[in-house]
Amino acid sequence: MADAAFRIEDYPGGGRRVVLSGCWSLREVDNNFADLREQLRPFFVDPFMHWDLTGVEQIDSAGAAVLLEGWGHTIDNRMELLPGQRAQFSMLAALPTRHSINAGHGRVKTLLRRMWDAYLNFIFHLVDFIGLLGALALEVLYLLRHPHEIPWKEISANVYKGGVMALPVTGLVGFMIGIAMSYLMALQLRKFGADIFIINILGLAVIRELGPILTAVLVAGRSGSAMTAQIGVMRVTEEIDALATMGISRVLRLILPKVVGLTLVAPLLVFWTSCWALAGGMVAANLQLGIGFEFFLDYLPRVVKPVNLSLSMVKALMFGLLVTLIACHFGLRVKPNTESLSASTTTSVVVAITAVILVDAIFAIFTRSVGL
Amino acid sequence: MSDALQAPVCEVHKLWTEYGPTIIHRGLELEVRHGEVMALVGGSGSGKTTLLRHIVGLTEPTRGEVRLFGTVLAELDREGQRQTRNRFGMLFQQGALFSALNVFENVAFPLRELHQFDEDTIHLLVMHKLALVELEPKHAWLLPAQLSGGMVKRVGLARALALEPELLVLDEPTAGLDPDRSKKFVHLIKNLRQQLGLTVIFVTHDLDTLTELTDRVAVLADQHIVACCTLADLGKVEHPFVSNFFQGVRQRLDRLDQPGVN
Repeated sequence: MADAAFRIEDYPGGGRRVVLSGCWSLREVDNNFADLREQLRPFFVDPFMHWDLTGVEQIDSAGAAVLLEGWGHTIDNRMELLPGQRAQFSMLAALPTRHSINAGHGRVKTLLRRMWDAYLNFIFHLVDFIGLLGALALEVLYLLRHPHEIPWKEISANVYKGGVMALPVTGLVGFMIGIAMSYLMALQLRKFGADIFIINILGLAVIRELGPILTAVLVAGRSGSAMTAQIGVMRVTEEIDALATMGISRVLRLILPKVVGLTLVAPLLVFWTSCWALAGGMVAANLQLGIGFEFFLDYLPRVVKPVNLSLSMVKALMFGLLVTLIACHFGLRVKPNTESLSASTTTSVVVAITAVILVDAIFAIFTRSVGL
Repeated sequence: MSDALQAPVCEVHKLWTEYGPTIIHRGLELEVRHGEVMALVGGSGSGKTTLLRHIVGLTEPTRGEVRLFGTVLAELDREGQRQTRNRFGMLFQQGALFSALNVFENVAFPLRELHQFDEDTIHLLVMHKLALVELEPKHAWLLPAQLSGGMVKRVGLARALALEPELLVLDEPTAGLDPDRSKKFVHLIKNLRQQLGLTVIFVTHDLDTLTELTDRVAVLADQHIVACCTLADLGKVEHPFVSNFFQGVRQRLDRLDQPGVN
């Protein structure tokens, strides 16, 4: 078999024709249809050019499609075709063209239209989210009446996965942040001779603000994304439907344990992270300003009122609840394709962190007169 | 045509597959000739799909070699591998459609990767492939998740056919389809084979598919190919699995031979 080729012949009585030969097929690996099309372009545009395909050994749909597109999707008496080829070409020509089909697709949306869509999308999310809250509330009521059905095992698994397994990373990050903050502030405070205030600043910042936020961000990135992906994949593989057919409530068995587990463990995690951050700060303060550990620990409760710790725990509960609810909400909306899974996981983490910071800001305004 | 004189499409020579202590294939020999339809059958876990994966170069055997179109895939450079891989199309058991792309994009994908066609030509070719597998143009804009099982298989087939392959490799083409759909799908493959002059290797459990489609059948059992012959010749092979298997085949062959049916 020979590669696809062509030559130009002059008719004796004037006019020219393109004579094609060889194998116009993708199976001939040396054929490059992009080059062939480029070489044929000047002849395609010539409306008086004749085409002779009777010498072609073999032509497949790819070769035929390239020629047909070159001829402007029409076959007329300028083309000399074998009967088999004619059938092949007319079959291709009968297929719907790109322009006939695409008319309805790819219309550019106006800005207004897009804003409206975004608004609707937000409303749908909100409705779904409220639905999830309602379902959870119903399950809690149900469990109050049937306490033996409380999914202890699942809750404890979630405490372990979301809490115990997160101890090393939250501790490490807290410690590092504590060192960095204390070190930078020590430089500033020493200029004013206000060394001792490092304890006030560190204590208040870490316990009241940084501990909860830092933990919430880490938990959203760690456990939140895992929850969304897990529920999402379970949806894709119909595992959730399998649960439902066994008469087991998906909310009770999947969502509730996650929400309860992570919400309960969040205050403990926040406390743990805050402790490590304070420890880091203490080490840096000792090295930079010469403040002893004992003095630091002794002085801390006197400048940071205990109510700040309570505030921190309340925040932790709210953040844990928020992160899990958002993670589960997005997990349940995953559609059965890879794109949706990755998009939902990303959105879940981004929305969770944004929501946490938003709630934190609101909380800060309402509690501005407490514990300062 | 000189089909018979052409080199075999696929040769498997002294192939061993071991996963740790378990031996799956013990010195397999197999030859698929140009233009024939070869079925791989065998019990569950007999290594049919593994063999298929060796043949298309997804995995490499522990020992031995697989020649596809006369070359060993692993020995080729990147470009050579790509060209050889474009000469066969594979239909996976679950379709393996790209779930983020719609039907059109799925079929257009291999054509785009070739960088030889403009958008209009690609559109025409995709519509042609969809017509070949008897799907309507309106189906082109659906996502894989919106398709039924039979349609997923047909789109998978359209994608496998996109680059006009010489060899079609099918992993359980009719698994998960109801008898009616599976019959239609088998007819579709049969027609395509005649239209496009394909060589087909496929794995199946389904006896109807087997008797309808196959020229020759290779039976995998006891880590060997215990038989590699036409369906009718299977009766002469003395092996517990084969004779058991042949009983089912013979009933169907008899039914096919009766005049007036089909």
